[in-house]
Formats: sequence, C-alpha cells, structure tokens
Amino acid sequence: MKYLLTILATAFLGVIYAQPKGVLSEKKMVPIPAGIYDPFFIKTSPVPIKVAAFKLDESAVTNLEYLEFVKANPQWRRSKVNRLFADSNYLRHWESDVSIGINNKDIYNSPVVHVSWFAAQAYAKWKNKRLPTVQEWERAGIAPPKDSKIKSVVDYIAKWYSIPSPKVLPNIKSTYENTYGLHDMHGLIWEWTFNFNSFIGTGDSRGNTEDEIKAFCAGGSINVKDKSDYAGYLRFSYRVSLKGNFCIANLGFRCAKDN
Amino acid sequence: MQHFKTRIVQSALFLSLIVWSFSCKTKTGSSGINDKGAFDISLIDTVLTGIVTAELTDPPMVPKPLEYSSPKTVMVELEAVEKVMRIADSTDYLFWTFGGTVPGKFIRVRQGDLVDFTLKNMPDSKVSHSIDLHAVTGPGGGAEATATAPGQSTRFQFRALHPGLFVYHCATGPVGLHIANGMYGLILVEPQGGMSKVDKEYYVMQGDFYTDGKFEGKGLQNFNEQAAIDENPNYVLFNGKVRSITGKNALPANVGETVRLYVGNGGPNLVSSFHTIGEIFDKVYVEGGSAVNNHIQTTLIPAGGAAMVEMKLEVPGVLNLVDHSYYRANSKGAVGQIKVSGKENPSIYNKIRK
Amino acid sequence: MKSFLYTLFICSILISCGSNEKKSAFEGEVMNEHPTAPVGTIPDQSIYMLTDSFQTQNNEKIILKQFAGKPTVIGMIFTHCDYACPRLTADIKNINKVLNAEEGKVNYVLISFDTERDTPDVLKKYADNLRLGNDYTLLHGSEEAVRTLSILLNVQFQKDAEGNFSHSNIISVLDKEGLLVSQKEGLEANHDLSIASLKGMLK
Repeated sequence: MKYLLTILATAFLGVIYAQPKGVLSEKKMVPIPAGIYDPFFIKTSPVPIKVAAFKLDESAVTNLEYLEFVKANPQWRRSKVNRLFADSNYLRHWESDVSIGINNKDIYNSPVVHVSWFAAQAYAKWKNKRLPTVQEWERAGIAPPKDSKIKSVVDYIAKWYSIPSPKVLPNIKSTYENTYGLHDMHGLIWEWTFNFNSFIGTGDSRGNTEDEIKAFCAGGSINVKDKSDYAGYLRFSYRVSLKGNFCIANLGFRCAKDN
Repeated sequence: MQHFKTRIVQSALFLSLIVWSFSCKTKTGSSGINDKGAFDISLIDTVLTGIVTAELTDPPMVPKPLEYSSPKTVMVELEAVEKVMRIADSTDYLFWTFGGTVPGKFIRVRQGDLVDFTLKNMPDSKVSHSIDLHAVTGPGGGAEATATAPGQSTRFQFRALHPGLFVYHCATGPVGLHIANGMYGLILVEPQGGMSKVDKEYYVMQGDFYTDGKFEGKGLQNFNEQAAIDENPNYVLFNGKVRSITGKNALPANVGETVRLYVGNGGPNLVSSFHTIGEIFDKVYVEGGSAVNNHIQTTLIPAGGAAMVEMKLEVPGVLNLVDHSYYRANSKGAVGQIKVSGKENPSIYNKIRK
Repeated sequence: MKSFLYTLFICSILISCGSNEKKSAFEGEVMNEHPTAPVGTIPDQSIYMLTDSFQTQNNEKIILKQFAGKPTVIGMIFTHCDYACPRLTADIKNINKVLNAEEGKVNYVLISFDTERDTPDVLKKYADNLRLGNDYTLLHGSEEAVRTLSILLNVQFQKDAEGNFSHSNIISVLDKEGLLVSQKEGLEANHDLSIASLKGMLK
C-alpha cells in the first residue's frame, strides 16, 4: 500500500512538475526501416529474424534530459529509489537528488550513465517511448559511418577499446553519425536494451543444459556467425553480465518507438 | 569500494555436489590411483579448519610457502583492472589485467582448501570480465559464476582438489582478446605437505601481444586483431613488458642456492620452448603436475599451461631465460634474466684466458 | 481503509489535473482493482514490487502481490516447449511432492514467456494435461511484464523467428513477502536447499 501511495504521490507531483515544460527541445527520432536482423549468435532456428520499422532517438538520453524525468518522478531520485530497481551506484555522478552539479557542467549534454534498466524503462515510458530491443539496436548500430574516412564500425570500436576511459564522459554527438542519422552508436557508452537478458548462455560456459550447449560452447565461438566481429562479442558478453538494477559508469540508453 | 554490489552465486552447493558425485565415482571405479593419479578423495570429507586470506603477489614475486597442514577456507579477491602500462620503454598499451599487473597476481593455496573467490571489476572498466581458473573442478572453471560487469563483483567457491601449477585467465567472449590484452596469471595448489623447500621462488609468465605498431613503436598502441588471428605477434614477453626482468630488474640469486621458477604461458597463441641459457633444470614438474623430470634443457609450456622448474646455481653470472623459438627472444622481447652472485667455481666452469 | 481514502483523494486530484498534456507514466498504475490483495507493507526488495498485472489460467486478473502470505515457487516456461519446460514443470511438481505440504500452503507459479500463444485457455489445458492441482497458478502477461519479471528473477530468454524461446531454466523460491530466498538453475537439479527453505517457512 505504501508503494502504491508513493506512486500516486509521484504521479501527482509529476503533474505539478511537468508544468514548466519546453526547457529542452524534444529529442529527434530517426526512422529505421524494416529489415532482417542477422543474429550474432547462430541459433537452432535457421529462419532470419525480421525487425519491423521503428524509430530510435538520434542520440543517448543526456543528464539534462534525465534530470527533467527525475524532477517529475521523485521516486527515481537518488535518495528515494528502491534498490531492487537501481543499485547504490544510481546517479552517483550527480551532485544531489535534483542537481547534476555546477561543477559537472561538462557532462550536462553527455549521456546519462549510472542508470538501471528499470530507470531507463521508466524514463522511456514517461516519454511515451520504450527501450529498443537487442535486435533493433543491433540492426540500427550496424549501419556504417556517414564519414567515409572511418573505414569500418569494427575498427572504430577497436580504437575505443584500445584507449582508456576518459575522465569526463564526452557529450552526445561527439563520435560518429551513421547512415541512418544515429549518433554515437559505438564508441561513447554501452546502451540498455529492452531484452538485454536474452538467452545466449553465460560468457564462456561450456554449458550445463542442452540448450546451453547449442547456444554457446568452446569459449563461445563455435556458434558465432562473424568470428571477426569481436566488438559484437564484447557487447553480448557485456549484456550477459548485467542485472536489471545495475548502474554502471559507461552504461546509458536511448529510446525507441513503434512507427 | 563500497559501491561494489556483491552478487552471491549459488554455485557453492552445486560445486560441492559435483565434487561429491565425482568422489563416489572414484570410490567405486578405481581405488588404486591415489598418489599420482586422481586426487585424494578423503580430502573432501576433511573438516576445514579456519579461514585465511590468501597472500597475493605481483610478478615476479611468489607468496610465501604455506605453513598450515589441514585444509582451510581461503579468501581470494582479484580485481579486473583495465590500465595503460608500458609494454616497452616508450610504448604504451591498454592492458586488461587481474590486479593491475601482467601476469595477474599469483595465488597460492593448498590441496584440499576451499577457495572462496571474489572477482571485482573496476568501475572504470569498459567491458565485462570473468575468470576461468584451471584449478577449478566445475562449470567454466568459475567463468559461469563470474561474468562481472564494470563496478560489480561476483563470488563462487571451489575445492582445490588437484595439486599443481595452474593458469587462470579471463573467459569472457571473445576470450582470445581478453587473453591477448594480458588477462592471465597463475594459481599454485600446493600438494599436501607443501612444496619442497628451495631458496628462491619467482613468477614468470609468457604471453604474446598484437599491436598495430611495430615492435617498440612509440606511443599508445592499438590491439591488432588480424595479427592475432594470424598468430603473428609483434611482442612475445615475459611478465608483460620488454625487459621486465632483465638488467636492474633481473631476478637475483646466489651461488649455491636452488631457484624455483613458476613458469606459465598465457598465450593466447604461442607455445613456449622455455630454456635457461647456461643452466640445466635439475627438476621440471612437467606441465605443472606431479611428474618430475630431471636434467632438462628446454621444457615445452603450452598456451594455457605451466611448469615448475628448479635449478641449483653453481657458478655466478647472468642466466638468460628465453623462449628458444629464437626470433621471439631476438626480435620480440622474450628474454628474462637471473643474476647469480657469488664465488667463481673453476672446477665447474672455467674460461681459459690465453 | 484510511489509505484507501487517501488513494481516492489522490485519484481525484489526478483526474482534476487530467487536462495537462504530459501525464505521468505511473498514472496507469492507479489500477489496484484487487480488493483481495493483502494489505500490508511489502519489503522494498520484494519481487511483489512489480505492479504489472497478469492473467491466470482461469482468466482472472492478478498482481504478484496476491501471492503474498505463502511461500511461492516460481518457474518460467512456455507450453510449446517440447524439451526443457516439461522437465522444469516436472521438477516443480517434484518439489511439491517431496515437500508434501497440505494443499493451500504453498503457491506454485508458472509464468509463460509466450505472450502470444499462451493465452489463459492454453495455459488451462497445459495445467489440466499435467494434472497441476489447485496450488498451481499459470500466468499470462504482457511482453513488458514478463520481461520485467524475468529480469527480477535473473532468467534469460529470447524469442526466435519461429516463435519459440531459448531460455535459462531456473526455479526460484520466494518467501511470504516475495523476497527471493533461493534459486536453482538447471533441469533435474538438486533442489534440497530450496525444499529445506520451504520447509523452514512452513513451520
């Protein structure tokens, strides 16, 4: 009952807070046409997975954008949030519950990180959007950079892995734009997906169950379609290690919407 | 580091179950194999006598020999650290490490111990990590229980059933990349009664590295995947850096002392023909197991394998440790040194001056 | 009762503010049409904090909180699964058998991954075929509700192009308040620990 009341109170306050709107312009969404998703892991099913047309935020949700959400939804404030839904690292880079911090100006327009899956879900809902699925995200992320000087996405990501994490997370639109018009799909942060907990077996499990053996064995390479796409490997390994309430320094999100 | 959220993994019970069923099989199957073959099954029923925290050391140092005689619960905590370090004097590389060094921290336990293992992944890591310790009997060698996101930690327990020297490494996909970036180390499971006493013990581990720039090319170097696939490294190194254990960093020892090297090979690709120039290994614990071979010139150390080699030092001088696949020593950095001090012994070695 | 009035009060405020174009997403959750739901505080870490509603095999609307008050055994399955799920269900039945508790003391809950095909009717047939008794509740939910629950229970699953699912096989035990007490992964696994904890809760 207490929880219900919190929700109600939140909803109430949310309405109040939402009044002075228009501080930030609405994030542009980019249409992604329908197509086929070629799974990174070859499954037992030979049928290709169709991905319907959808729209995806052109960039990750920023600290400033997320601040509006937190102001409008007090149960998502750092001091209020339920640990079931966000661990103790939630928004730890912010100065306080409702302030990113004047000393953190550099990251106002950087992707918000230290946010959980539940938080990202709630934000997306609040925006009348949703989180993209792994299939959607991967399909959108595979598009090549607009800038022909960048040879390949994989090379670009390889560079990202080869340099240390920056002390201050760069702003959105600081990496490359792909041919769909999406920014920073790789090379800035990792992003939550709706179904990040999709089954692929554990990172290097030799498998206990038959399902697992089919999905993943011998160091997780036998069933991998493109063995040279080690960036793809890293993304899938990363997702496997996540739990819904994890809040991590290089993990943010962007929202999707049905067409 | 109170921000780490410990994830308690359920594998302890599962592991003990495996151990239990395995022991049953051994009981019924073959009672004869004990000293050299299967592990001593009575170990599992041994009551653990207390909890100790493992001493962990950076290479080339090795933790002190263990002094307890009955199995204990041993707490081990390793951190996955992604860190720029020198791979050569003017070359940097973003290494992925266990504990901030390449190879990772040396772990020393005793056969029969219950190892309570925690893996932390530093908050500023870019990627997830895990660990597969070859000393583990259980799924993925622990990898199944330790897929660890940045800023998180995981935990599992295993019983050290087999004595020997074992490699551990990150087992997060793509495993080759994690190993190529330096994520490996050694865990020694001392046999019951411990290792024989020697005067000096050192930790040396070989690995091959793949960069865009050529050998000792300046600046921060990227990982070169094609070179890794082609198994064509620009660096083959002992302890993760060119000249890590040579010159002023040579491993010190004295005439008359017996030195034991714990030698591992992380790979990811190359097999090492480990050789010491100017000494003969009195003893080699072949492949890190119980079999001892004597009077060995060069011992093969497979990728993901290890060996213990012992030599009594008779004369002073510098002993070069090399991978005797010689161009690796010549051109790719696979050289280390033991500096032996003490009195000459012309009856053993005498350079005739004309 | 007092809190119910408070709810009404808040609702009326909400309605009066309804003209505002930016509605809170949580407005949708002013849905507690479950007067039977046990009133009382649920711990923050309880799985019952998930407020989405599901449908049972008997076509009743339900929220997880309604399972509070008894220990609960949970598995996630889909009825078209010809390999793992029948075995996982059998494992749960086996826990039930070994536990040998009176009817009405423990909830056994099976939640379907298959939000499209596993309608309440299909779940009903599955339950009947496998002779699942009165303590068993089979749940159909929205894609989001099922995904959220899977995340809370650390169950991985993925739909393939044929509409089938790859998934991990985990049986979870929740205490009377919905806190996760034990979990066991694998088919025909050893559930002694789970059974012991259930016995403890039934004392």
